[in-house]
Amino acid sequence: MLLTSKPVIDKAPFDHISFDLCSRRKDVMLMSADLSKYTQIIRVKKELPDQHLDVGMAEQNLISVAAGVSKAGYVPIATTFACYATRRAYDQMMICMGTGPNTNVVIGFTPGIANPARIHHQAAEDLGMIRAIPNATVIDPMDVTDFKQALDVAVDIPGLVYLRGHRGDTPVLLDDNKFKFELGKTYPLRTGSGVGIIATGHATQWALEASVLLEQKGVEHSLLHVPTIKPVNETEISDYCFAHDQIVTIENHNIVTGLGSLVTEIVSDIGRGPRITRLGIPDVWAPGGTLPYIRSQLALDAPSLAKKIEAVCNGA
Amino acid sequence: MERNSPARIRELELMATKIRRNVLDICMQRGGYAGQGVALADIAACLYFDEMRPDNNNWYHDRFVLSNGHDAIMTYGALAEQGSYTMEELRTYNADGTKVDQSPIEGQFGFEITAGSLGQGPSQAAGIAYAERLKGSDKRIYCLFSDGELQEGNVWEAAMFAGHQKLSNLVYIIDNNDLQATGATKDVLGVEPVPEKFETFGFGAKRINGNSIAEILEAFEEARNTADKPFVIVCDTLIFAGVDCIQAVLPNAHYVAKASADWQAGLQELEERISKC
Repeated sequence: MLLTSKPVIDKAPFDHISFDLCSRRKDVMLMSADLSKYTQIIRVKKELPDQHLDVGMAEQNLISVAAGVSKAGYVPIATTFACYATRRAYDQMMICMGTGPNTNVVIGFTPGIANPARIHHQAAEDLGMIRAIPNATVIDPMDVTDFKQALDVAVDIPGLVYLRGHRGDTPVLLDDNKFKFELGKTYPLRTGSGVGIIATGHATQWALEASVLLEQKGVEHSLLHVPTIKPVNETEISDYCFAHDQIVTIENHNIVTGLGSLVTEIVSDIGRGPRITRLGIPDVWAPGGTLPYIRSQLALDAPSLAKKIEAVCNGA
Repeated sequence: MERNSPARIRELELMATKIRRNVLDICMQRGGYAGQGVALADIAACLYFDEMRPDNNNWYHDRFVLSNGHDAIMTYGALAEQGSYTMEELRTYNADGTKVDQSPIEGQFGFEITAGSLGQGPSQAAGIAYAERLKGSDKRIYCLFSDGELQEGNVWEAAMFAGHQKLSNLVYIIDNNDLQATGATKDVLGVEPVPEKFETFGFGAKRINGNSIAEILEAFEEARNTADKPFVIVCDTLIFAGVDCIQAVLPNAHYVAKASADWQAGLQELEERISKC
């Protein structure tokens, strides 16, 4: 079992993740665009100042300066909100970071509906945008353990590496001693027959919540966590999908171009696969507010997810 | 020989003439950005054959970042003389399947960045300069971009950063030819006064005749002697400067699709000038 028996909440995961990484790797340069406080970069800024660079509120510059830093032998980790990294600086990510061999890591925090400010701060399309860049790497970790281990791997991957970040109260769900992040690998969190649930990032947390309710109702299901969106292990995903008649994907992302699209593409390339139901942000502007409120409005809260999955199981 | 002695200037003028010849030769095959390549020959001669210090591997200790990819033709003309490319290779410029890209991609020999999306070179050069300084390296970083490119906001984000960080190892070279894709820069969206704008961002700045070897050398020297701030050299240039017979007929050619009969005369003019030296 990859999950911990007693999940705890980490209030500032990236503070210790970044400090631990920068303490071990002197070639890593953490970069901010006036959001260090809001991405919880505290100790690195204070105790390892040579390994932190703030370029001000200028995301295109953040990405292109970072690309320059990588060309002088450092491994930059450019941090900002996901909406700014991808929407405002997409061309810089693609051209400055995505066309060369140097490692360039970008972390997009508060992705999808994890940001309370509607539309402008909610990146519901970042995974799809970056996965459309040739040779890019895209990772959507589910918790603190996944985030920490994925970043450790990311700093040694050539080219553009985009991770979604977690900030604030984040659960530690995966057991650090049993879970080992490997690029492209998928992770079964529950095995069983019935409906196959595939989730990534924050949505894997939501899927676990729904799983508890489904179990209480006696609805047979399994759950697969897919942290790597690109390069994806197509064999592991297709094997999982073809072992079920019904697949439900859940993502903190527009159902267009994200995980659901990815799974559908893999299955349709083979043909005659299971029915796939894509759950996530249903191609509408999400509301603002607290995460529980937004989830409830989009039917992504645990009871709504469980109800939908049960309906799928019953042939709806 | 002193760096800006009359004899040294004559040497670099000869080099610039050879670069112009190479540019015409390359673009005679299938067209290209010949006007810019010819106009930038004096800057290329000074940069590649005087200002940037060599390393021990037939390349350079200092680093050059080309931001406006289409000016790669300048670099090709220079690297033909430096020896990294043969003219035979370079004559495949603009051909299907060539490895001599009109606007190079990162990884092509001689080019630090993928340069076709304008406005991104100044930031990357600033990032390189910041990191080289942090490492304790004495490398100097040169970045060429154009006046039309100044309309890209990313350039000014870079300037703000470079000025704030006092990157005295960074030199911006602006090809100020008052020409962009659809007309004169001053008509499309004026960018002047360029030196003064950069000065307000914390740069040392100098406007020069970009087709004067003496002025280019003097500006590079001033940049080297400027402490605690980056430096910008605003080079006023003219398309096809130095090849009078072509300049007379193509004074505003942003791109030349096909060489005309004047080109052979221009090439001959340059060959004669070279043979007399």
